[in-house]
Amino acid sequence: MTTVHRLLDDAFAGVEPSPEVQDLKEEIRANLEARAAELESAGATPDAAARRAFDELGDVRAIVADAQADVAEETGGAPRTALQAALAAAEQHRVRPTPRFVLGVVLASLVLAAAVAVAALAPAGVLALPGIAVAALLLTASSAAGFVVGLSLSRETTTNHPMPQGRAGGYYLASGLGAFGLLLALFTALGTFGAWVYVVAGGAVVVGGVLFTMLGVTQTNRKKAWVRDVARAQAAEGHFDRFDRDPAAAARFGVYTLVIWLSAFVVFVVLGLTVGWAWSWLTFVVALAVMMLVLARMLFTSPGEGARDQR
Amino acid sequence: MQRDELPTADDAFSADLLRGHTDTIVLATLRRGDRYGFEIYKTIRDATGGAHEIKEATLYATYRRLTKDGLVEAYWGDESQGGRRKYYRITDAGRAVYRRNVAAWVATRDVVDALLSTDKDTPR
Repeated sequence: MTTVHRLLDDAFAGVEPSPEVQDLKEEIRANLEARAAELESAGATPDAAARRAFDELGDVRAIVADAQADVAEETGGAPRTALQAALAAAEQHRVRPTPRFVLGVVLASLVLAAAVAVAALAPAGVLALPGIAVAALLLTASSAAGFVVGLSLSRETTTNHPMPQGRAGGYYLASGLGAFGLLLALFTALGTFGAWVYVVAGGAVVVGGVLFTMLGVTQTNRKKAWVRDVARAQAAEGHFDRFDRDPAAAARFGVYTLVIWLSAFVVFVVLGLTVGWAWSWLTFVVALAVMMLVLARMLFTSPGEGARDQR
Repeated sequence: MQRDELPTADDAFSADLLRGHTDTIVLATLRRGDRYGFEIYKTIRDATGGAHEIKEATLYATYRRLTKDGLVEAYWGDESQGGRRKYYRITDAGRAVYRRNVAAWVATRDVVDALLSTDKDTPR
């Protein structure tokens, strides 16, 4: 096997060592070793096997030069600004939501809202529903919520390729379980179920969380090539998102978030004690919406504002 | 420049045509699991009966291009003996592009078949 290393070192002698070249050399080395081992098992002597494997590779210098040219091209100057390039690329790759997708999301949202609303009539004392019926309604609602997540992931967007059906199904299950657990816990807190249901709710949330984590760590790239190009151009120009560029803005957002959720909790308790627990949870929905609006305003600045920030 | 010899009957095979689909072929070999360079090369070589192959230099350029476009992700294996192997894994983006390219190939093949009428009377 030493022959492969020697032949490779000879071939790479005089090539300027860069991370890319080193990377390529290691990759070629492992492939040569595998090919040489194959030839040896077919009866060749170690030396002859290494020599033949190396010869089959062809012109190593050309492969290296090719890799170096690619790197040089990548680091070369971009004539357009990152923002212009991004807008042009987004325009070129625009994908509109299909009517089927929009219809699916709207219907699922209606089911979700209707199921939660009807179920909420039980703790509100308006409707005398048996516990099992409320549980079934909550299951329907969480299934609808998971469906929206899964459907959104499995469709092609301007920036993302569609996620394979099986994987999107996993996200459906994970978010559905999580939502079911949270809804169960909420209705238990409202007094619809006995305290033992907290155990079921906790179990659903934990299983959903584990599933989410598993899906998250095994997730591969879904971004389209142009998005990566734009990201690379922006990184080259130093345009990371605003929170990377401006730590003060990130810190400010952190404080805002804390204030929003603290206020939401106080309002939740106050409303719960006065208006009733059936509707006070809406506070958290409002808080989430407010947080997202703040995030959107703070994270994406217009070019003019961006210029002001950089001064 | 000398023209290539006309292919003989048992050599009726277009290497150029094969080479034009290198990206899709590599994506196809990665669909059933992560592989390193030599495994990909071997799969292609064995599928073509060993007589025809895609040059390794072409494959290295292909891996680089696919990685750059986010269609595959590379990672180093942790072999205890010998050199580390660089494995490639197909991404969701890669699967989508693969499916699109296969659909395009099938459509093209059908048109070419129809135009050449291969299934009716292949000229001998």
